[in-house]
Amino acid sequence: MNWAAVFGAAAIIPLLNASIRLAVPTGLAAVGESLCQRAGVLNLSLEGMMLSGAYAAFLATHYSGQPWLGVAAGVGGGMFIGMLMALFSVTLKTEQVINGIALVLLASGLTSFLHVRLFGVTAPERFDPMGKLEIPLLGAIPGVGSVVFDQSPLVYLAVVLIIGVWWTLHRTRFGLAVRAAGDRPGAADAAGISVDRVRAAAILASGAMAGLGGAVLVVGQLGLFAQNVTAGRGWVAIALVIFGRWSPLRVAAGAFLFGFTDALQLRIQSASGGIESDIPFEFFQALPYLVTIVVVVVATARARDDAQPESLGVPYIKGARSS
Amino acid sequence: MTTTVDAVDSPDRPDPGRTGTGRAAGWSSRLGSLGLSAAAIAAAFVLGGILLALAGANPFQAYADMLSGTFGSRFDFSLVLVETAPLLLIGLGLAVAFRARVWNIGAEGQLLMGALAGGAFAIYAPINSRAVMIPAACLVGAAAGGAWGWVVGFLRARWSVNEVISSLLLNYVALRTLEYTIRKPLRDPVGFQPVSETLPDPARLPDVPGLRVHIGLLIGLGLIPVVAYVMRRTPFGFHTRMMGLNRDATEAAGVRTGRLITAVMVVSGAFAGMAGILQVMGPESRLTGNISPGFGFTAIIVALVARMRPVGVLLAAMLIGALTLGGDVIQRTQQVPRVLTIVIQALFVLLILVADRLGRRSR
Amino acid sequence: MTSIEPDPPAQSRGSGGSGSVPLVAMRGIAKRFGSVTAVADADFDLHAGEIHALLGENGAGKTTLMNLLYGLERPDDGSIEIDGEPVQFRSAHDAIEAGIGMVHQHFQLVPRLTVAENVILGTGEGRRVRLPDLDEVAAAIEDLGERYGLSVSAASLVGDLSVGEQQRVEILRALYRGARILILDEPTATLSPVEIDHLIERLQGMAAAGTAIVMITHHLDEVMTAADRITVLRAGANVATVPADETSPLELARLMVGREVSMLSEVGEVEQAGATATSTSAGPAVLTIEHLSSASASGTSGEHARDFFDLSLEVRASEIVTIAGVEGNGQAELEAVLCGLGQPAAGRISLDQTDVTGATPRQLLDAGVGVIPSDRYRRGLIRGLSVAENLVYDRIDRAPYGRRLWIDPRAVASRGADLVGRFSIAVRSPSTDASTLSGGNAQKVVLARALGTDLRLLIAAQPTRGLDVGAIEFVWNQIRAQRDAGVAVLLITTDLNEVTALSDRCFVIYRGRLIETPLDREAIGMAMGGAGSRAEEAAVL
Repeated sequence: MNWAAVFGAAAIIPLLNASIRLAVPTGLAAVGESLCQRAGVLNLSLEGMMLSGAYAAFLATHYSGQPWLGVAAGVGGGMFIGMLMALFSVTLKTEQVINGIALVLLASGLTSFLHVRLFGVTAPERFDPMGKLEIPLLGAIPGVGSVVFDQSPLVYLAVVLIIGVWWTLHRTRFGLAVRAAGDRPGAADAAGISVDRVRAAAILASGAMAGLGGAVLVVGQLGLFAQNVTAGRGWVAIALVIFGRWSPLRVAAGAFLFGFTDALQLRIQSASGGIESDIPFEFFQALPYLVTIVVVVVATARARDDAQPESLGVPYIKGARSS
Repeated sequence: MTTTVDAVDSPDRPDPGRTGTGRAAGWSSRLGSLGLSAAAIAAAFVLGGILLALAGANPFQAYADMLSGTFGSRFDFSLVLVETAPLLLIGLGLAVAFRARVWNIGAEGQLLMGALAGGAFAIYAPINSRAVMIPAACLVGAAAGGAWGWVVGFLRARWSVNEVISSLLLNYVALRTLEYTIRKPLRDPVGFQPVSETLPDPARLPDVPGLRVHIGLLIGLGLIPVVAYVMRRTPFGFHTRMMGLNRDATEAAGVRTGRLITAVMVVSGAFAGMAGILQVMGPESRLTGNISPGFGFTAIIVALVARMRPVGVLLAAMLIGALTLGGDVIQRTQQVPRVLTIVIQALFVLLILVADRLGRRSR
Repeated sequence: MTSIEPDPPAQSRGSGGSGSVPLVAMRGIAKRFGSVTAVADADFDLHAGEIHALLGENGAGKTTLMNLLYGLERPDDGSIEIDGEPVQFRSAHDAIEAGIGMVHQHFQLVPRLTVAENVILGTGEGRRVRLPDLDEVAAAIEDLGERYGLSVSAASLVGDLSVGEQQRVEILRALYRGARILILDEPTATLSPVEIDHLIERLQGMAAAGTAIVMITHHLDEVMTAADRITVLRAGANVATVPADETSPLELARLMVGREVSMLSEVGEVEQAGATATSTSAGPAVLTIEHLSSASASGTSGEHARDFFDLSLEVRASEIVTIAGVEGNGQAELEAVLCGLGQPAAGRISLDQTDVTGATPRQLLDAGVGVIPSDRYRRGLIRGLSVAENLVYDRIDRAPYGRRLWIDPRAVASRGADLVGRFSIAVRSPSTDASTLSGGNAQKVVLARALGTDLRLLIAAQPTRGLDVGAIEFVWNQIRAQRDAGVAVLLITTDLNEVTALSDRCFVIYRGRLIETPLDREAIGMAMGGAGSRAEEAAVL
């Protein structure tokens, strides 16, 4: 195997650049999920939100030819599943685990159904993914410039949004309400906060970000849609929330690690000669998932469970005796 | 998932109702919940009909096609049962896990590992007797599936790793492992597809007499009363139900919940693993990359629609088996994508949740 | 044409208070939860500058009535007027806007937020996106605290504060939001006697400054010292409203219960006679605790997570040893360790001279240890199982109820029927779902399961919390009967009445350390507020 092609000085900058690119879809979903979980909602529909967003983005871009329209549609697609998630978890107060999983299946079924219905068995033509936008001056900085400032505009948008979530959580009244609703919804209610509204808003925000993540995948990277194109990124994102101890910035850092693993396995795969390699390429394909599991185990085992929102996954029913 | 709870005991206030389908209703409301499920399933078919109409098909004709294409002849019905068999087995295992509020969504991976280990055993073990080979391969498959489930249970019991995440992610690992195995070590040297060689004759499941269904179905049917008995009449089943209702009290009563969670994961993994090897020895006759079109996920729906009741699992498995097959039928007759049936399945669960909620409110 | 109208009659109606239009007037209030009527046709007046006690037994509807005023619930019937204007609150938010503040019995604070964050939580909604400068908020809170004698460090996390400090935060929060009406639900329930005196003093100061205060309680002595007027509720309706200086504890007790009262221990008078006198026959040591300390990272972190240090005590057969103390002083952690749910960091626990440190709940059960857990709904009852199943669930795999591989439902049912009878559990049938049980009957199930077999040791934690008078008496008698039958009893309680009614010997736990105290109400009360003298603690406050 040609290790220089993987770790050589010339390879390291593209590798890091790719890590950021690959981290963005998962990272957006994960940071949105961290907001949602801080509000007390265990949103397992994340994979469905991403998928729905990815497909909405694909359709809009395919028919309009406008990638930015696709991005907007992706946000809407994620929020559509978010609305359903809010309807069940907040309005109907059903078991969040069950309706989350059911919504993933629903999104998977609906997108596949529409795709086959609209395009039959022949895949529609691939469109060009959104190009890179090198930021003037900053992009010229040696090293850092080509890693960070030579990316798709969607990457910059993602960074702004991720910081925005952190700011919202820690610097706004809404963020304070979110933190209270996730720990002690009863106390938040008594303080005059509508726990239902806060939680619904957090779910919708999570849907918007996951939908955007799906859109980035389709519009910014692949230029096509395939059934279940998100391939478990939503689940990985939920794992990253645990890894990041429910803090948006740490979650984002975790997403970068995931992106790095992904970029690395792609690089090693191609450097090691693909099918004929001694190390099976399936191993590299499984690697991001294995790394995620290990990372979650380490994060959960090491830290005490004090970062987890106290009422995560527990529906809030006014006046109910908890059990 | 651990959750801290306010110790609020307010005698001034009556309990306004409990939440969650996991908290099973008593005998008296069993009939009521059956009615609610039926109504929810009917509503899901109505919504599915609207989608059919939107897709340009005549929903009435489509459902009629579905019905005649699944229950219309003995042959078609056999196909439904072929579809039912794995769903029944996996669903029974998941019903046990979900009763304990252990959310195993890794049955797909557990099935694949069962198929892989069982299949490898059937190919390599020099056993010429069908009566020895089939039970032995089943045990190997169940053991492999159980081991894959054990990992999840162990992580949850030892370090409180959320089982939803770990079990789901392990699905991908299992799939890649299977794909590698049939691409390299177990690959049939003749042929272009990455598949294993055909299983030797002693490892081929015979059909149920009179039906074109492998005997795996009978194993599933035979396990229904066993699971029902275990859940109602054994300490293991009792403790499982206890834990699902109140884990803290179960622990305080001296039950080692960590061990119980692990045991429940092993059981549900073993059921899925056995379903996997039965698919290999039955309909597939060899290891391929698509032994399972998502049985492990569909079985989640089966267990939930059945409300984690063993007999309900049989009914739900047949319903969803027939629906899946019906999807193939309408794809042929009405040119409607068969994945529509996945939408209807998801609607089953969602609408049952709605029905439960409305039912609680009216009580 | 104008004419001078006579004073509206409302102005002359006030008695007690300041005598103008009542600040709050609730008329004909009714509230039902399903088939249960919590409040039926209740009237309530509140004037500026008065402390108005709302007195009644558990379940009399006191808290519900005030939840209605605070907008947490909506009345089915009746009207509420503030300053003579009819109001309809849709949520607590509306009530807060109208100048009402409520301090709940179980504090409604978020432990992982700071004091300042808790205070501004829910304020200014919709108006401004950004949080105000938390340093400025903290300074304002500390100013306010100084003015009312309620000092607190506004930058600390609420979870790090003592119960008394958390209560001050609750009061400050209401004042910060401009409350002119302050409702306190059982404000003294978790305070030490010294803290209670301090609180009442502060409340009187606030009332003098014009705040109207409602104090929900069932403690007669506090009512007599603190209140200007007293309204007694019984079965959801108000029985009487009387000025404090025109009534007596005995009259109030009669009004509360609706009959002549003999069980004075329950209504605040000290009962020392009779029941506790049999302590002389205590036998050999059954439970021995030596130098027991909790792990600091026991994983049970939460609101009341407090460590305990170097505890040693002995409980002999046929005696009731009490660990009294204000909540949050380490007794919850001690309970967990003694019940096999937590590991101590150091020390030794022995049962009949056998080391049982680190034994599992199952091993303790087999060794004859019965447990009445402090949180009965979390650790003592499984809703969704039948009453009969609840009565045997800890020994379902033991004869005669079952073996390793089977359960005998008939044995379970007959045991259920037997215990339901022996402990007079009010339930339609033993096969009824346990979630239908009332608080008192739920506790009887817990009691019956623990006491239904022969015990060596009984650990009873907060055994009567939240129960009504009848149920309390029942539980006390059961515990006494165990002691008289030779069982060693360790009682962990916050209730001073319970301490004096049951104890043969008494320890107080304060900040995780034990102090042996004489069986004297005054002495125990002082120790619960810190071992030193009242003056010493007053200086701290």
